[in-house]
Amino acid sequence: MEAGNPLLDDYVLALANKPRPKICFLASASGDADHYIVRFYRAFDAGRCEPSHVSLFRREAGAPDLRTHLLEQDIIYVGGGSVISLLGVWRAHGLDVVLREAWSKGILLCGVSAGSLCWFREAVTAFHGEPQRVEGLDFLPWSNTVHYDGEQARDRSYRQFLVDGLCPGYAAEDGAALHFVGERLVRAVSSRPHARAYRMRCVRGRVVKSAIRTRYLAEGLPALSPAAAGRRLSVAPDSGPAEVCPPTAIAAGARS
Amino acid sequence: MAIGGGGFGSTGRDHALDAYIAELAGPDRPRICLLPTASGDPKEQITRFNATFRRLGCSPSHLALFRLGDQPEVEVREHLLAQDAIYVGGGSLANLLAIWRTHGLDEVLREAWDAGILLCGVSAGSMCWFQAGITRSHGEPRATRGLGFLEGSNCVHYANDAARRPAYHAAMLAGGIPGGWGVPDGTALVFAGTELLEVVTGRPGCDAHRVDVVDGELVEKVCEARVLEDREPDLADVDPALAEFRAQRRRASGLAGGSRVSGWRHAGAEGGEVRRAGRG
Repeated sequence: MEAGNPLLDDYVLALANKPRPKICFLASASGDADHYIVRFYRAFDAGRCEPSHVSLFRREAGAPDLRTHLLEQDIIYVGGGSVISLLGVWRAHGLDVVLREAWSKGILLCGVSAGSLCWFREAVTAFHGEPQRVEGLDFLPWSNTVHYDGEQARDRSYRQFLVDGLCPGYAAEDGAALHFVGERLVRAVSSRPHARAYRMRCVRGRVVKSAIRTRYLAEGLPALSPAAAGRRLSVAPDSGPAEVCPPTAIAAGARS
Repeated sequence: MAIGGGGFGSTGRDHALDAYIAELAGPDRPRICLLPTASGDPKEQITRFNATFRRLGCSPSHLALFRLGDQPEVEVREHLLAQDAIYVGGGSLANLLAIWRTHGLDEVLREAWDAGILLCGVSAGSMCWFQAGITRSHGEPRATRGLGFLEGSNCVHYANDAARRPAYHAAMLAGGIPGGWGVPDGTALVFAGTELLEVVTGRPGCDAHRVDVVDGELVEKVCEARVLEDREPDLADVDPALAEFRAQRRRASGLAGGSRVSGWRHAGAEGGEVRRAGRG
C-alpha cells in the first residue's frame, strides 16, 4: 500500500498462489480511518484479488459474523497506527482468538507497522512518547520493532529492553518485510533498494545486531526451497510513517 | 452530563445543549477537551467540535489516541487533568472502553472525576460513565459494562433507535443490568456528583425515562426535561452586518416562540452595539 510502489503488495498476493485471492483489510489500528480503507481498495483492486475490509467501529453496518468472514480469507492484511489501541479493540471483539484460528488454518497473515508488531510475542513501539514494550499476540515467539531507520531513541530503547530480558527478535527499516513460515524467518524482502532488516539479540549482556540479507523485490527473487515454502506464512512489512499517517491526515491542523 | 444522542454540530439542533455545556464548564474561556476515541478519532468530528466550542467562547482541544504520534508534545494525563471539561464523542462503546483501558485512560478519567472536572459525552460517551449501557458495538444491541462512576444504567437513542429500548428492558428484566435512564437524542442527564440534578433538552418534547424493575415488573417513569433556551451563537465572532440581517429576518418571519424571543432580543442588542462601535 505504498504510494506508487506495489512491490510488497504484489509479493503478498503472489504468496496466496491462486488467481484472485480473498484479502481482508483490518484498519483497526488507525481507528478504521476512511482514507486508509480507500487506499487499501486502490492498492488491492478487484481485478487481481477479492478485497474486503472489516470495520470494528461500525459493526452495525458490516458482516454480522466476523469469524466466518475472516476464516474464509486467503490473506488478512492489518494496517498501521497504534498497536496499543489495535490490541485493545481486537480483544474487545474477540478477534485475537479468531486470528489465532486463522493462523492455525494457514491463512496468510500480514501487516504494516502496528500491523507487523501485533503478531510477535513482544513489540517495541514508539508511537507516542518514549518507546515502550508491548505484549503482542505471540504467534511469532520473537520481538519486533519497525521504522528502525533513523530513530535513535527507538534503537537505544530496543537495545536496553534486550539487555533487560526482552526476547530476541527482528528490527525492520521502512520498506523491509520479514517473511515467516511458521515461527521461522525464511527471508527478508524490501520494496526499497536499501531497506534492511536486522536480527537483534542479547549475548552475555551485550546486544548483537546482525544484518539480514534483504532482497530488493524489483530485482526478482529465487524460489523458496520446498522446505521453506510451507503454508503458514506471515509477512511483516513496514513502509514508514507516511504509509500509516499520510501528511494530509495530521490532526494537529484542527488544534490551532 | 450524559447526552442521549446528537450534540455538537448535529444539524444545528442541539446548539442549546452545546451552549449549556460551555456554561457549565466555567467562565473565562474554559478548557474543554474532546475524546473522539469511540468513533476512531475522525477528523471531521474534531473539526466540528473545535468550531462549535470555540464559537461558544471555550478553549477547545482534542486527544486522538489513534494519532497520538501527531501530538508528540501532549502528555495525555497532564493534558486531561488540566481541563475544565472533558467531552467524550459517540461511536462504539466496546471499542471506547477497550482502548481507554489499554492506554490507562480509565484511571486518568477517574482522577479527573475526583478532581471535579466536568465529564460529559454523547451516546457511547454518555453510557461509559454508568455501570452499564446498551451498545450496538457488536451489531445487535446488547448490554455492556461501563466505568461505573455513576450508579445505574443508561440507554441512549432511546426514542430514536427502535431496537435499543426493548433490548434495554429485556436486559434489565433478566437481571443483567441495574435500573437506569433511557435518554433520547438531544436530551441530557445532568449529575452533580452521583445525584441527578436535572434533565435538559434542546428539543421540546424529548423527555428522559427512569426505568426500574420493581417486584419483577418493569416500571418506566417520565423524567421531564427542561427545555433550554435556544440562543444564537455569541455574536462577538459574527460579522455585525450578518448578525443584523439574521435578527431582521427573525423579526420578519415571526418565528419567535417564547424562548426564542429573548434569544434574538439579546442578539439584536449585541448586534446594535457592535455596529455603533464600528461607526465610532
